Amino acid sequence: MTTVSRSVGPLLEIQGLKTHFFTQDGTVRAVDGVSFQIGHAKTLGVVGESGCGKSITSLSVMRLIERPGKIVEGSIKLNGEDLLEKSDEEMRDIRGDQVSMIFQEPMTSLNPVFTCGEQISEAVQQHTAASRREGMDRAVEMLSLVGIPDAKRRAREYPHQLSGGMRQRVMIAMALSTDPDLLIADEPTTALDVTIQAQILELMRDLREKNRMAIMLITHDLGVVAEMADEVVVMYAGKVVERGDVRTIFGNPHHPYTQGLLHSIPRLDERVDRLEVIKGTVPSPYNLPAGCLFKRRCPFRMPICDVAPPMRQIGEEHTSRCWLTPAGEPPEVGADPTPEEAEAAGEQLTVEPR
Amino acid sequence: MADRTYDDVTQVPVDDTEDIDRTEVRSYWQLARRRFVRHRLAVIGAITLAVLIVAAAVVPLVVENATGVSISKSFAPAEIVDDEGNLVLALLGYSRTGINMFTQLMAATATSLMIGFAAVLIIVFIGVVIGAVAGYAGGWVDNVLMRVVDIALSMPGLFIIIAFVAFWGASIWTIILAIGITGWTTAARLVRAEFLSLREADYVQAARALGASPRRIILRHMLPPALAPIIVAASLGVADSVVLEAALSFLGFGIGAEQASLGTLLNVAFEYLNREPYLVLFPSIVLILIVLAANFLGDGMRDALDPRQRVEQQ
Repeated sequence: MTTVSRSVGPLLEIQGLKTHFFTQDGTVRAVDGVSFQIGHAKTLGVVGESGCGKSITSLSVMRLIERPGKIVEGSIKLNGEDLLEKSDEEMRDIRGDQVSMIFQEPMTSLNPVFTCGEQISEAVQQHTAASRREGMDRAVEMLSLVGIPDAKRRAREYPHQLSGGMRQRVMIAMALSTDPDLLIADEPTTALDVTIQAQILELMRDLREKNRMAIMLITHDLGVVAEMADEVVVMYAGKVVERGDVRTIFGNPHHPYTQGLLHSIPRLDERVDRLEVIKGTVPSPYNLPAGCLFKRRCPFRMPICDVAPPMRQIGEEHTSRCWLTPAGEPPEVGADPTPEEAEAAGEQLTVEPR
Repeated sequence: MADRTYDDVTQVPVDDTEDIDRTEVRSYWQLARRRFVRHRLAVIGAITLAVLIVAAAVVPLVVENATGVSISKSFAPAEIVDDEGNLVLALLGYSRTGINMFTQLMAATATSLMIGFAAVLIIVFIGVVIGAVAGYAGGWVDNVLMRVVDIALSMPGLFIIIAFVAFWGASIWTIILAIGITGWTTAARLVRAEFLSLREADYVQAARALGASPRRIILRHMLPPALAPIIVAASLGVADSVVLEAALSFLGFGIGAEQASLGTLLNVAFEYLNREPYLVLFPSIVLILIVLAANFLGDGMRDALDPRQRVEQQ
C-alpha cells in the first residue's frame, strides 16, 4: 500500500515549522520554529508539559489544524515530498495510508454507531480497492494481529462493548490496517491503566519491527520514552529545547528543562519525602518572556538568558537550546557569542543536517 | 501478517478460549428492536398509529360511496351491514345528510396523516441539509444560515401558511408544502447543535486522521449518530403538522369538504356545537391519539436507536 518509493533521506523531516493560532486575544505561537527528523523504522519520542506544542506538531504533520490555527511557515517532508504543498485531496490519500494516527482517548475515538470491524474495514476500503468483504477480512486479521482474542466476534461488536485497552488495540489495528510508513501516537497509553499500558507499548514495539514503520510518540511520560524511543525531542513553549538519542538525553541531559523533567520522576531506589519539581508554570502563550522561554523557571538563570539562545551542538547527535556550555557551565563572558551576535543567530535554527 | 501467535508478546491468551464471552453478538437493529419493545408506551404508540394508518387507508376503500344512504336513517344507531347486506361499517351512524360518519372520519384521518407525514419529510429534509451544513462548516456559513433560521422563526408561521394557501389555492399539496417550508427551523437547529458537538468528537477527528473526506465524515460519522434527535424531531413534527393542518382547516383556510381532513370535520362540527356537541368528539379523539402516539413513538425510537444504551437484563 506504500506508493512512494523509499528515498534515502529521513522518512519525515520537519523544518522550521510554525503553527500559530490567531485568537481574539492575540496570536498564540503554539509551534514556533520546530525542526526534527524521523528515520525509517525509528521511534522518536516527543516530550514536554501540557501545552508545549507536542500535539499541535503532530496535528500539523497530519494537516489537521483547524481555525483559528494555521501553519504559517516551514516544511514537512514525508519521503522527500512536502506535505504542506499537497492539495486537500492528496492529503486525504496520505492520511491513514502513509501516515496514521492514534489518539489519547480510546474511549471516545471510535464511532459508537459502527462495529469495530466496520470501522477498520472502512479505513481499508478508503485507501485500497478492497471490497466490503475484503475489508472485513482484513479487519479480523488486524484485530487478531493486535492481540484481540476471538477477533471474528469482536469485529461484530460495538466500541462500547469493549474495554479501554481493547479499544486502543482497535484504534491501533485501524491505524495499521493500511501499513503506514509513519504512526503518530499521541499519548497512546495515557488513558490506560499501567498493566494495559505495558501491553500496548509492547504491542507497538513489536508491530514496529514487523511492519518496518516509524513511530512518532508524543507523551509526557518519560518512562514510556525510555522504553520505546530511539531519539528524543524535548519541547517547551512551542520550541524544541533539546534533541538527542535516548541514551544521551537520559544519561547526560543538557537543557535545564530536560534536567528538571528527569529529576521530577519518582524513583523506586531512593527514598525522598518530596519530589523535585520544576518551579513555576509554563508561561502564558500570550505573555512569553523575551529571550530564553524557560528563564523564569530556570535555576541557572544568567544575564545572557535575556537573549534567545539558538539551538547549539552539544555533542554528537545532541543539540540543546541553552547558553550553558556543553559541559553545563555558565559561558565565560565574551567567550561565547555576544548578545549582539546571538541576536543575529537567534531565530535562525542552527539544526545541522545529519 | 497472517501470523497470529501473538500471545507471548502481548500476554493476551489468544488460544485460551475459556474466558471468552460466548453470548450471541446481536446486530444494531436487533438491539434497537429489543430496546424499543421494552418501551411500553412507545409500543402502544406504534400500534395505535399503525391501526389508525391501516384503518384510514382501508376503510374508505372497502365501503363504497357511503353517502348514498337515505336521509331517513339519520342518526340511526351504529350498523356494520345495511338492510341489503352490504358492508357499510357505520360504527358512528349517519349524519342528517346521510353521510356515514365512521368512513368519513377515517377518510379525514387519512388526509390528515398524509399531510402530517409528507410535511415532515420536507421539514426533515430541509432541516437536516441546512443544519448539517451549518454545523459542519461552522464560521460564517453557520452564522448566515442561523440568521436565516432566526428570520424564519420570527415570522408567524400560521399567517405565512395562510398567505401561501391564499395565493396558490388550498390543495392538499400546497398545504403540505406550506407547512414544510415554515416548519424546518427547529429541526435545522437541532441538527446543527448535534453536528457542532459531533465535529469535535474524537472519533470524527480520528476519521479525519484516517483520510476520510468531508462527505464521508458527514454521511458516515456524523449523520448516523445524529439520527436519534432527528427521529425525535420528525415524530414530534408529524404531530405538530397534523395539528397545524387541523387548525388551518378549522379556521376555514384548509382543504375544502371534497377532501376533508380532521380539521375540516371539526370546522363543520363546530357549527353544530350547540345542538349536537358530541360531533366534535370523534375528530378530536383521533387528533389526540395521533399526537400522543407520535410522541411516544419518537420517545421510544430515541432510546432504541442509541447504541450506547444497553438492554438491561431482566
